[in-house]
Amino acid sequence: MTNILTATDLSKSFGKKEALKNISLEIPRGKIIGLLGPNGSGKTTFIKLVTGLLVPSAGEIKVNDLDPGVETKKIVSYLPERTYLNSWMKIDDILSFFEDFYPDFNRIKAQNMMQDLELNSNDRLKTLSKGNKEKVQLILVMSRDADLYLLDEPIGGVDPAARDYILNTIITNYQENASVIISTHLIADIEQVLDEVVFISKGQVALTASVDEIREEHHQSVDGLFREVFKC
Amino acid sequence: MLGKLLKHELKASGRIFLPIYAVLLLLTIVNKLVLSLGCPDFFNEETVSHPVMEMIFAITLLLYVAIVVALSVMTLVVIVQRFYKNLFTDEGYLMFTLPVKTRDHIISKLLIAMLWTCVSGVVITITILILSWGTFTWMDVTQAYSMLSQQVETQLHLSMGLLIFEAALMMITEIVASILMIYIAIALGQLFNQHRIIAAFGAYVVISVALQFIFSIAMLLIPVFNLDYTFLSLADPTEVVQWFLNGTTAINLLLCAAFYFGTQYIMKNKLNLE
Amino acid sequence: MKWNIDSDRPIYKQLIEQIEYRIVSGLYKPGDKLSSVRELAMDAGVNPNTMQKALAELERSGLVFTVRTSGRYITKEIKVIEEVKKTIAFDEIERFFEKMQSLGYTKREIISLIETDKERGQENDKHPNSN
Repeated sequence: MTNILTATDLSKSFGKKEALKNISLEIPRGKIIGLLGPNGSGKTTFIKLVTGLLVPSAGEIKVNDLDPGVETKKIVSYLPERTYLNSWMKIDDILSFFEDFYPDFNRIKAQNMMQDLELNSNDRLKTLSKGNKEKVQLILVMSRDADLYLLDEPIGGVDPAARDYILNTIITNYQENASVIISTHLIADIEQVLDEVVFISKGQVALTASVDEIREEHHQSVDGLFREVFKC
Repeated sequence: MLGKLLKHELKASGRIFLPIYAVLLLLTIVNKLVLSLGCPDFFNEETVSHPVMEMIFAITLLLYVAIVVALSVMTLVVIVQRFYKNLFTDEGYLMFTLPVKTRDHIISKLLIAMLWTCVSGVVITITILILSWGTFTWMDVTQAYSMLSQQVETQLHLSMGLLIFEAALMMITEIVASILMIYIAIALGQLFNQHRIIAAFGAYVVISVALQFIFSIAMLLIPVFNLDYTFLSLADPTEVVQWFLNGTTAINLLLCAAFYFGTQYIMKNKLNLE
Repeated sequence: MKWNIDSDRPIYKQLIEQIEYRIVSGLYKPGDKLSSVRELAMDAGVNPNTMQKALAELERSGLVFTVRTSGRYITKEIKVIEEVKKTIAFDEIERFFEKMQSLGYTKREIISLIETDKERGQENDKHPNSN
């Protein structure tokens, strides 16, 4: 089976500023991968290139062997770091919206998760708290039966109970032909659910390894190594 | 997928327009009632209606005019806001990751904007008809039309149908071009990292000025190439009218194409979400 | 029994240890069916691939076996379990001795300390309702 994601000499600059420099990465199917790096290291830029929100300055990025476009958007489920739920819609409306545009969206699953997290489907998105907006977005994203999940800072603003629920959701949703990429700088919280980690520093890949490799070789957690590598 | 985009666009904008239409129609009916029951001779200088009723009518009429103005402004505001807010603010993260072609985003927004522009026009026309109901008969209308079409045919040697068709075509292309000009201005504005709305407004002004400039130059060039003689030599008013209408339509189409492809290029390659 | 993953050792090794402990302590009984990888992973809050790796390792050591259609079971061979139990016991003893020796006790002293501790324990056991 082909890699779900391949980046080859991928670069992206904004004006004179180089956000990503010659990134080459291969992400196989069936993995949960942590994209780790300090703020401003290029994590979000990388994810935006995968989604097609940005176009590479050089090099290429392939999702399931295709350039980002309509076909890849069908199989990529993306959670941006921003909340886009500022509209007049009710939770129910946004469920219908997802159902309309994504054939792989499972409405029943989404409704069950909404209930678990005590979200009322008649509430207007605009009126939700920031944490609840994040939860709704995560539910929308995880209720799709996608091949690649891109979660940009998924646990930033939610409380620890919700965080555990979210991590559980990611584990339960795990499928053999799907991969999950989680970008974060809060590593300790998610380390246990990761297969592999990619450290990004100043727009370049600083390290790729499996979590247990790091623990075996360095006798410390990924979080510990991260703090050492990126010490200020 | 275009169908689904249209559906959601219609829903999102309809909830703003429909209430305004409802208020406008209601106000029209109130006006008509006040006018025909309270002061049927309002527009007659010689008779005087009850002053209180005249007051009331003046107020409701003022309200009516205010709503008509508000509707016109809202139409423009919604066109701008739906395109800018839905695509280039945080909502863009949702819209641009849908499995939908960039083309369909622009077309869905454009078609719905056209729709509301037309519906707003029709609704205002209907309210005017309601207000003036009883002051004319259907006969008057058909007579006026046949008189006009006769004049058109004798003086311009043009069939009224063709004239209306060509004029409508010119107007529609004019509307499309002006909406697309708003779109490209917004698309250019979002290239900036700050003050994007001001930048979009600036882009709009710059495009307007540039177009003015080009047209002025073109006008200046007409005598240079003796084109004015060509025009005059046509002498036939039919051809002059035809030239004007179809020429404007052609220029509009050209602008439409330029604005559309410019917008699409920016959205595809230079998207710069906050 | 809660899963307890500490931060500096490979996760799959810790999973193996904790499942072994559950088996030898009798929490998982010989012949019991294990939950699915996904359920176990969720329960422990770890990556399913890591749990899979731990179970594969346990299978290799014979503590767990797979029936192709119905899932994973704890071994019925008491001998294997006893063996693992002994290994864990020896490991614990060794660790204990290391710690005591670092406190300055000799092996002999340690053993006599254990004896006194045992007597004290028996003393307490004799009059369970004395107070």
